[in-house]
Amino acid sequence: MNAIREKTAQGQSRDPLLSMRGIGKTYGEVRALSDVSLTLAAGEIRAICGENGAGKSTLVKALTGIVAPDKGEVWLDGAQVHFAAPKDAQAHGINLVSQELSICPDLTVLDNIWLGALSLPFLHRRADLRSRAAEVLKRLGAEHIALDGLAGHLSTGERQLIEIARMLARDTRILILDEPTATLSDKEIHVLMSALKSLRAHGTSILYITHRLGEVFELCDHATVMRGGTVVADLPVAELTRDRLIELMLGRALGHMFPEHHIADGATFFAIDRLNVPGAAHNVSLSVTKGQIMCLTGQLGCGADEVIRVVAGLVSHANGRITLDDAEIPLGRPEVARRRGVRFVSGDRAEEGVFIDRPAWENLVAPRFVERGGAKLVQNRALRGEAAMLADRSTLARHRLPVRTGDLSGGNQQKLAFGRNIGDGAAKLILMIEPTRGIDVGARAEIYRLMRDFCEQGCAILMASSDFAEVLGIADVVATMFRGEIVKTYKTGHLDMTRLIADVTHPEEENA
Amino acid sequence: MNSDTDLSGPLRPSFESMKARITLGNAVTLFAVLVLAALALATPGFLSMPAIRSLVTTVSFTGCVAIGMTFITLSGNLMSFSLGASLSAATLVFVATLGAGIWPAILAALLFCAALNALQGWIVGYFRANPIIVTMASFAIITGVATSLTGGRGLYILTNVAAGLKGNLGPVPGPFAAFAICALIAQLILSRTALGRRIVLTGTNPRAMLAMGAEPWKAVVWAYALAGLFTGVAAVLMAARYGSGDLQHGIGMEYSAIAAVLVGGTAIEGGRGSFLRTFLGALFIAVLQSVLVLRGFSTEWQRFGMGAVVLLVILLQRK
Ligand SMILES: Nc1ncnc2c1ncn2[C@@H]1O[C@H](COP(=O)(O)OP(=O)(O)OP(=O)(O)O)[C@@H](O)[C@H]1O
Ligand SMILES: [Mg+2]
Repeated sequence: MNAIREKTAQGQSRDPLLSMRGIGKTYGEVRALSDVSLTLAAGEIRAICGENGAGKSTLVKALTGIVAPDKGEVWLDGAQVHFAAPKDAQAHGINLVSQELSICPDLTVLDNIWLGALSLPFLHRRADLRSRAAEVLKRLGAEHIALDGLAGHLSTGERQLIEIARMLARDTRILILDEPTATLSDKEIHVLMSALKSLRAHGTSILYITHRLGEVFELCDHATVMRGGTVVADLPVAELTRDRLIELMLGRALGHMFPEHHIADGATFFAIDRLNVPGAAHNVSLSVTKGQIMCLTGQLGCGADEVIRVVAGLVSHANGRITLDDAEIPLGRPEVARRRGVRFVSGDRAEEGVFIDRPAWENLVAPRFVERGGAKLVQNRALRGEAAMLADRSTLARHRLPVRTGDLSGGNQQKLAFGRNIGDGAAKLILMIEPTRGIDVGARAEIYRLMRDFCEQGCAILMASSDFAEVLGIADVVATMFRGEIVKTYKTGHLDMTRLIADVTHPEEENA
Repeated sequence: MNSDTDLSGPLRPSFESMKARITLGNAVTLFAVLVLAALALATPGFLSMPAIRSLVTTVSFTGCVAIGMTFITLSGNLMSFSLGASLSAATLVFVATLGAGIWPAILAALLFCAALNALQGWIVGYFRANPIIVTMASFAIITGVATSLTGGRGLYILTNVAAGLKGNLGPVPGPFAAFAICALIAQLILSRTALGRRIVLTGTNPRAMLAMGAEPWKAVVWAYALAGLFTGVAAVLMAARYGSGDLQHGIGMEYSAIAAVLVGGTAIEGGRGSFLRTFLGALFIAVLQSVLVLRGFSTEWQRFGMGAVVLLVILLQRK
């Protein structure tokens, strides 16, 4: 194994470390994969790109023994292998950071990191494990996360880091990451990129799934592009451009990613006045006019998410004053917030976003069951019509409507969480936390357009996003946040990437 | 796993997908049903009119409680340990109020039982208390209070007012007709009313409901209230049938009820299931019970057999 590492550290190796050949997988009638092949050399980072539902997650699940492929072979080190379960893959040094988080909230961070590691002897030295875990966290730039703290107290982004740390702590030859950066902010992503590059330098091979195309160009050597369960391209990243990659993914060129900004000013439509959330946000005040999209941005834990959750009525221990369209919104009362026209798209899809066991169409029309009197009869036919309309709007293919939500790809689930909040005329303010998390470029452009359309109808959007390109592209007003406080508020055009990054990392120096 | 609570998707299920639904698990369940049916038919005395009448009458009592239990399970609160005790208490209420006439007595029993359980639902939903603990405590409280009030003695129906409830509807015993109607009504509530959908959605993901601005605790209260209501129906039927209100009536009822719910295939974790399933599950349990009795097993072995079969069927349903 060392020999292989050395060989590749110098350059390309001839025979690949891993090759998957002719992999096929169907779920009932759905062809998730057909005849997919890819190779991975030692010390190579290969991107797997494709639209939502293209089959990326299914492919890596088939590789790691989470799902059993119907067809095809997997070869490792020139020998054919079969992985019946993830632990078999792990025994061969193949580890997957999956798209859906699998953190145990009631265990400590340390236990979570070592959870499921095969190399742990029954009796082990805890001190040893501690230092190794701490070292891994340090590599990810997450030293601030306490090893003895409960994982349940961490934010979504921090949980994602723990998830990555878990796989880094194991002996890994092939590391697979399925959208690891969807919940991270730029700074953490940056650290993760360098950690992955240094792994590559040491000969580890990586399969990397992402919808953030910039990462493909920064990090990856090769790209496999998938569409509808097949491979449509397999080429070195050096031969790709961003536009070409998008074209391969979507099968068409993408017009503009972001719609025009809203420039006109007006009277205050929505305002937060001196909002405090103990331990999370201090003295936050802001105001939004009709037609505006306001974006709160910062690093993990900057407090943007909490501010949004307070407005949604989901935080009980906050104080401050919130008004929407001249009516005050009481704190900690989600049902009142809804009646006053507030809609909330949670950043935590599995926990707060979708109803996993229910079909997709029911997820889209779920608000109708809430708005109506309990004894009212449900017109299933009308509701299904409405669901189809909402699916069209949020670019979800109609044939997915009867599917159990848990069987949809991650991005398509996100479309449900988003889509259900754009349906009714009573909405005035949509709150969003990372609304395009895990959504492919094509659908993303469509969602930005929808957001803009919604605002044009005399409404407003308040969102939290840590994707800085998204922040600059969609927001009319940006508030940068650091440690629970707003650093500064900018109108569109008065902010650039450098300034944004400076604000959310070193606001003190910036303001001095 | 297919869910029956949505009557059909936006697309008609094609023949292909129907085939896909006949999974191994379903086949095994079907097999278990066939084995039981064969066993029942081969049991001497099973196919006699009195045996069948008694079977469908007793199944109605547990069946109505199972319908109630299904609401609780669907709402994501596992099961209630106090439905049997609620039933006993409601039979007492029914008999005690019978002096005011049959309709007021029925109303009193139903309302009492619904309110008693709604209260538990409120504690479970609003304070996010553990449903197992709350309903176990309620079991003890209800039984304790009722015993001290009655001195442990039953109340007997001395007049003829409730006789109508024992009659037949054509060839069908009255209680069984009531049970079937209850199953239909419950299914209607579940799949055709906003409340029913709220209960199921709450059972799947209460936090998503909260984020949507719904109040999940209210759906939980309603689920318990409905559970109480249908248990109340069982109480009225039983009191009329046995001519008494008695604390013995409901003993062990929650066990048979939850067995019927689970054997029917409603998911214990909530959010998936239907009343048709519970109806069939109750029938399965009742037939099994009757076979065990007719084959002359002693009470201990009947219990053993029931437990073993329930465990087996539930294991077989897991994929
Ligand atoms: N357990 C399942 N049962 C049925 N269909 C499934 C299941 N898992 C995935 N699918 C289907 O397989 C297809 C591929 O899904 P997959 O999750 O691999 O997409 P993906 O490329 O990872 O998308 P995303 O970018 O949204 O994560 C989709 O059409 C999906 O609905
Ligand atoms: Mg995926």
